[in-house]
Amino acid sequence: MTRSDEASRNPLLQIKGLETHFFTDEGTVRAVDGAEFEVYAGRTLGIVGESGCGKSVTAKSILQIVDRPGRVVDGEIIYRPRAEPERDLLKLGANSHEMRTVRGGEISMIFQEPISSFSPVHTFGNQIIEAIKLHTDLNNDEAYDLAVNWLERVGIPNPQQRLSEYPHQFSGGQRQRAMIAMALCTNPRILIADEPTTALDVTTQAQILDLLLQLRDENEMAIIFITHDLGVIAEIADDVAVMYLGQVVETAPVEEIFESPKHPYTIALLNSIPSMAAAPRDRLPSITGAIPHPQNRPPGCPFHPRCPSFIPDVCNQREPSNTMIDSDRKVRCFLHEAI
Amino acid sequence: MTAISQNQDPKPLVEIKELKKYFPIHKGFMRREVGAVRAVDDVSFYINEGETVGLVGESGCGKTTTARCIVKAIDATAGEIMYRTVDGSTVDLTQLSNAEMRPLRRDIQMIFQDPFSSLNPRMTIFEIISEPLLVNNIGTRQEREDRVHELLNQVGLRQEFMQRFPHAFSGGQRQRIGIARALAAQPRLIIADEPVSGLDVSVQAQVINLMMDLQDDFSLTYLFVSHDLNVINQISDRVVVMYVGRVVEVGTPKELFSSPKHPYTAALISALPKPDPKQKRQRTVLEGEVANPAAPPAGCYFHPRCPHAIELCKTEAPGMEEISPGRFVSCHRASELDLAGVSIPASAD
Repeated sequence: MTRSDEASRNPLLQIKGLETHFFTDEGTVRAVDGAEFEVYAGRTLGIVGESGCGKSVTAKSILQIVDRPGRVVDGEIIYRPRAEPERDLLKLGANSHEMRTVRGGEISMIFQEPISSFSPVHTFGNQIIEAIKLHTDLNNDEAYDLAVNWLERVGIPNPQQRLSEYPHQFSGGQRQRAMIAMALCTNPRILIADEPTTALDVTTQAQILDLLLQLRDENEMAIIFITHDLGVIAEIADDVAVMYLGQVVETAPVEEIFESPKHPYTIALLNSIPSMAAAPRDRLPSITGAIPHPQNRPPGCPFHPRCPSFIPDVCNQREPSNTMIDSDRKVRCFLHEAI
Repeated sequence: MTAISQNQDPKPLVEIKELKKYFPIHKGFMRREVGAVRAVDDVSFYINEGETVGLVGESGCGKTTTARCIVKAIDATAGEIMYRTVDGSTVDLTQLSNAEMRPLRRDIQMIFQDPFSSLNPRMTIFEIISEPLLVNNIGTRQEREDRVHELLNQVGLRQEFMQRFPHAFSGGQRQRIGIARALAAQPRLIIADEPVSGLDVSVQAQVINLMMDLQDDFSLTYLFVSHDLNVINQISDRVVVMYVGRVVEVGTPKELFSSPKHPYTAALISALPKPDPKQKRQRTVLEGEVANPAAPPAGCYFHPRCPHAIELCKTEAPGMEEISPGRFVSCHRASELDLAGVSIPASAD
């Protein structure tokens, strides 16, 4: 699959040098530490990484909904919708009218735990109709019809009846479908999905992944799909960004990540997935050590204490830069840096 | 119905026969009993000494309830759990009183899913790991300390950690502490309930490797409960697949995953995301959702979602059949269906 020339020139969303820090009593945690990636219309970017690597904070930074004591301290988030001039979202105030139009209207987000994203004391219908009315000029009846229409599209039976029910009356899979309907009813250009299937069973997960891909194609939108599961990435993503300790260490099209991973962390991550094709009772290759505590971030390349290809006096001294190794591949590692 | 049982020697360490656990549903002012959630509804399987049996299924299928019945954390509604003690006699755990169960509790230990809530935050690591020794009156203080040293070594933790509290440890380290605690009293059977589900993949691999090493070193028997087919495939000698409180299929991971006989097993395999973007999915995406165990459908519990269901499936529940030695399936159409298993990447093109 090759990107059309027009699309490759103009990413819909471009993140540059994003820094989001948490200012806690124990010190500053650099949760996102210079993350860089691009998102293209009609494609899915998978952000993969282990817990604490900053993937969720990156997503929240895009919408400027980072919880305190976190704050975006540096970077650019360039948003280029087709008809309008490009804007740096970070230059808009978090509570400005413009940002509120973008948030939920042009860039929507769905979360891992849909139950905690809904109000338990309002019917589901009230909540979705409120979202529609906030972002469109529709009146009550039109908004109701649109809500019914969206529930049908995401595969919820009896939409009229379900609209008058409360979120706790939905099952886990239905709730995630409802959440998707609510996120998409404003026709966003970008959908950010933060581990939307992690809490679901595999059979339900398969349904939701298929639904997301189908809706992406129908609406020509871009998806940023955040997960720790490389299997899910292989299924849904077109491009992949691998994150480790707040940095994007490798970006590449999905086939190339799986076929010829370049960064030692990506390689180790791919090796450590238990596979159905593997012989039972085989030992898994595992990454030594654990993810460092974010307050004890190692100097130099953050992965060097666990890295099998560690170069003494280089990796622990300096930080590698993000190096372009192909027209659509970047990697942050001294092994691939022309010195 | 052919119960799943092991006929030849060696006799199994644990044999579960027609286990049932119903949770009553109360309703109204008088708290009348109006029904029951059939969490475990006729489950039979056995665990041989020294092997790992993987118990796999989706949430709500009763796998954790089955595990909790075996350690007698809850009492079974009906059925037998035959346990072969060290001296070779066989006892039914469901019939034992708490006092009679006590000496056996040393033998059967449990590892839990959430390493954050299963360790008491106000106890030091030494206190946590030595507690099984203390309650069973094993050793003096000095001996217990030596034993904790040894255990920490075995699970790959440093001895200086002994006086620290759980909050100082990462998820993987906490799971190692949980494993050390389970090993403390030298058990024979370890029930591990989703022990790696809360861990990152890189750490998950470390813990699985550790559990396999410990099994070889101390000839442990594992019942490994998980929803993750990949993990189950990695660690198990035999696999039991459950759906809505019932066992649907039993076999070795190789048999089960390369040529599943039950449509549910096949659907689970097909739904599993494959870490290979080239292998295009040929999914049988299941319609609908897991049946409600409080009001299961008639006949085979799987029939409303089954792409191969026939009239018979709607009225009559299939019995358990042994289709080859040690291989059990509960499906009316097991012999006629040709179901796809795990396709090896090389043959995908």
